[in-house]
Formats: sequence, C-alpha cells, structure tokens
Amino acid sequence: MQKYEKLDKIGEGTYGTVFKAKNRETLEIVALKRVRLDDDDEGVPSSALREICLLKELKHRNIVRLYDVLHSDKKLVLVFEHCDQDLKKYFDSLNGDIDPNVVKSFMYQLLRGLAFCHSHNVLHRDLKPQNLLINKNGELKLADFGLARAFGIPVKCYSAEVVTLWYRPPDVLFGAKLYTTSIDMWSAGCIFAELANAGRPLFPGSDVDDQLKRIFKLLGTPTDETWPNMTTLPDYKPMPMYQPNMTLVQVVPKSTTKMRDLLQRLLVCNPSHRISAEQAMSHIYFTDINLLPK
Amino acid sequence: MAGNFWQSSHYQQWILDKQDLIRERQLDLQVLSEEEYQKIGIFFSNFIQILGEQLKLKQQVIATATVYFKRFYARNSLKSIDPLLLSPTCVFLASKVEEFGVISNSRLISTCQTVLKNKLNYAYTQEFPYRTNHILECEFYLLENLDCCLIVFQPYRPLLQLVQDIGQHEDQLLALAWRVVNDSLRTDLSLLYPPYQIAIGCLQIACVIMQKDLKSWFAELNVDIDKIQEISRYIISLFELWKSYDEKKDIQGLLNKMPKFKLQPSR
Repeated sequence: MQKYEKLDKIGEGTYGTVFKAKNRETLEIVALKRVRLDDDDEGVPSSALREICLLKELKHRNIVRLYDVLHSDKKLVLVFEHCDQDLKKYFDSLNGDIDPNVVKSFMYQLLRGLAFCHSHNVLHRDLKPQNLLINKNGELKLADFGLARAFGIPVKCYSAEVVTLWYRPPDVLFGAKLYTTSIDMWSAGCIFAELANAGRPLFPGSDVDDQLKRIFKLLGTPTDETWPNMTTLPDYKPMPMYQPNMTLVQVVPKSTTKMRDLLQRLLVCNPSHRISAEQAMSHIYFTDINLLPK
Repeated sequence: MAGNFWQSSHYQQWILDKQDLIRERQLDLQVLSEEEYQKIGIFFSNFIQILGEQLKLKQQVIATATVYFKRFYARNSLKSIDPLLLSPTCVFLASKVEEFGVISNSRLISTCQTVLKNKLNYAYTQEFPYRTNHILECEFYLLENLDCCLIVFQPYRPLLQLVQDIGQHEDQLLALAWRVVNDSLRTDLSLLYPPYQIAIGCLQIACVIMQKDLKSWFAELNVDIDKIQEISRYIISLFELWKSYDEKKDIQGLLNKMPKFKLQPSR
C-alpha cells in the first residue's frame, strides 16, 4: 500500500469504497477499490473474486484493466486503471446536448467491449451508465464486473434480480432465470437511447410493473406470435395490451433513420430476436464510424 | 470462460516447464526424494478429494481446488504453509470461484475434523488444529501466490467431446477415462500440459485398460503424439507407485520428515 498515495474518494462500488490514487514511483493515477472483509465467514467476497478472475482473463481496450491486487492484513485492494469519469457523470456535465459523433463512438466502443466479453462467454449483467467509464481520450470501458459471470456449462439457474431496473429486459422482469448475452444487448439498447438523448433515461421505471408498462407502451405488448414462450416465464403476469402508438422518433427526437433501425433491433422484447453485439457492430449506422479522438 | 484456453491465464502463466518445476522444489528435495515428495502430494490430493466429497462438491470444484494446491507448491516450499491448512483453503476458494456457493467456514472446519478423525487417522493422530481465522488468512496467501489466476481449465469437458466423437455408446469408456482424469490430479500433469492433451492421454490409458483398439481414431487427431506419450507415462508411473506403496503404513513417517512450516502468528 506504500506504493500508492491516496487522493480523493471516487465512489462506492458493489463491495467497497473506490479511491483515486497515485503510484509514488511512476506517478500514474489509478483507482483503488477496497474490498470490505467484514463478513468473517465468507473471506474474500464472491463478487470480488468473480471480478478479479474475470478481469484477469479479459484484456481489451474497452474493458477496464485490473493492474494489481494488494493484500494487507484484513484488506484486499484492487488496483484498476483510472478513468476520468463515468457515463452518468458525463451526462450530468452535458446540459442536454450531445455531439452525434460522440454518441456513435461511445456506442461502438460499448458494443466492441461487449462482443469481446460475449466471445469469452462472459455476461456483464449489470450494464448502466455508472458502470461505463470514460477517459479524456474519449475511450469507453466496461467496468464493475461484480455481477458478471462466465456462462459456460452447465446450464443452471442464475440468480434473479441482478440488473438495475431501468436497464432490465422484459424477460428478466418476468423472472427469466436462464440469461444469455441478450440481457446485455437490451441494456445496451437502453443506453444507446439515453446517449442519443444526452442523458435522459429511456425507461425510468419505479417498480417492475411500471418498468414493464413503460416498455410495452413504446414497443407494444408482446403477443403469442411475437414472443411464444413469454407466458411460461416464472413471474409472468398479463399486462394491458398496448399498441405501439409512440414511435421511436418521438422518444429519441434527434435520431437518424439508421440510428432508430439499430435501436429497434436492440430493443426487442423477445430475447431470442435481439441483435448480437457482433452483428450490431456491423450495422449500417456504423459504416462511417470515426472513433474519437482519432 | 470456456473455449478460450489459448488466451487464458492458465495457458499464458500456468503451463510450466518441467525443469523449472524441479528447480523450484530444490529446497524440499534436499529433504525428500522426488518419490517421497510425490507421495505427500498424493496424500493431500486425496485429502482434498475426500473433503470435497463430504461437502458434496462437484468434481470440477474439487479438481480446481487440487490445481490451486499444485500451483501454490510449484512456487513455494512445503514449509511455507502447512499443506494440511492449504488443502481446505483451496477447497474454500475453489467453491467460491466455481460459483458453487460459499461453504460456511464452521462447516468446513468441522468437516476437516471428521475427515481427519474418521478417514485419515492413520496419518494424523491429533485433532485438526486450524480454525476459521487461519483459513481466511491463508486464503490471502493463496490468492497472492496464484497471482489471482483463478479460472482453471480441466480435462473433463474435452474428454466428453472426444468420447462423443468416438461414438454413441461409449459410456463405459467415458466412465473409465473420467476416473483416469481424476487420478491424473495426483500427478504434476495439470502444471505441465494443456487440459485437452491430458484428456487424450487419459483416454488412451482407458483404451489400453479396456483393450479397445482405437488406433486409427487416435491417428486422426491433430495432436503432438510425443506429448500424449509423455502424459501416459506420468499416469502409468503413478499406477506403479500406487501398487508398490502402502500409504497407511508409510505416510506418518513421510509427514514427519516433511519440511515444517513455522506457525503463522494468529491475528
């Protein structure tokens, strides 16, 4: 711990406080995540272990780097690459206006990070603006893998209730327990719309019921035809039959046709019809991609 | 993390060189012969296996715990931490990483106590001496020495695919090869060879035992045959060691001879 000089507190993560710090030798700025070990029975918390072992395997420019793990008695400190801010804070600084090229660049990087995770059989499961870090060079990185897990065999039930409500897909809201990569793609869609609207969340539901209604009011309530297995989901309950009477243009006024087309492929209620990260990256919306700052 | 072995920390950091392994063990090999060292390793692999079975863990979790154990002592002398403490710590860490769920520490300790008393009393006459705080402290050392590389690839999955490729009704072959993979955990193989090669080696041994001729099938595998032969030799020499040695009679002497740890000060 002598190696680092602690600077400001950045925030509270899933399992501990995050500090900004400076490496005394290299002067490099890092983020220190202190893992609380207050539960005397569990030892190093499973969520921290999960993050450590996944980040040890996932090395990619759009995924936050874990540099080091420090041990000092009763404490575990994870040393991460430091990013200047998260997407939520970035939104707060915008005053309601965002450059369309920034939207495209961030979205592309989000998808690229996700495609990498998914190709390594890792789901993030908790995508939200607070978990997307942004640095001065306009690079976006996925962070906070505390809820992520590898989804290799065997296929068993994964714990329910893991995604922050606003970014939760309808299948998870109905209690689906077998998650696939589609869970992250829905969240990516919500974040895409939020980016385009300079930080106005797309579905800011207050509870599960409200969340579903907001989704179905925009996209129309799914039917047996559009989503055959919906009614068999564990927490399924019949919802009012909304017709898709709002269009995406109304919800995302500054969007282009191509943008709305991609958004429409992400925000599909039936998880098996949602576009994959790999496919989304080759969508026509990105043909003129100009990654910032290059 | 399936399917990306070549990019994994397992491949990049933890496939070791035989010569390095021997060099790292020099300290212990001044006191023990290579065979004695191996016997001690076998004993503690068995301890991990029994613990895992008593705790109703899946074989995958037990195998991961065993590999942690191997990796730790590939870099450390037996006297740095008492293997009797490191074994349950490996089980504890592996069960969390493999998302089996946390085993409560009190259950872990009491299982260690019963196993020692009922199944391993030929090796230890005293009670299991460690408590929760020792396990938690040891977990730190383990994590650090593993360099936080916690995801371990095992031969079980490639084995399943290989047997499937051979044909439909090979349950007997699979069961036997599976047991040979379990046995392979008692050797250094998991430190030296990629899991798919170990799977092929174990399958070959199983075929020999069952007198099943699959030479043409093996010939079509795109694999370094020399490596597979090396793996087979490791397993055969393990079987020979087992035949020539009565653990119940000899282990106490070996454990006494083992380089001793200095007790960690408790917190």
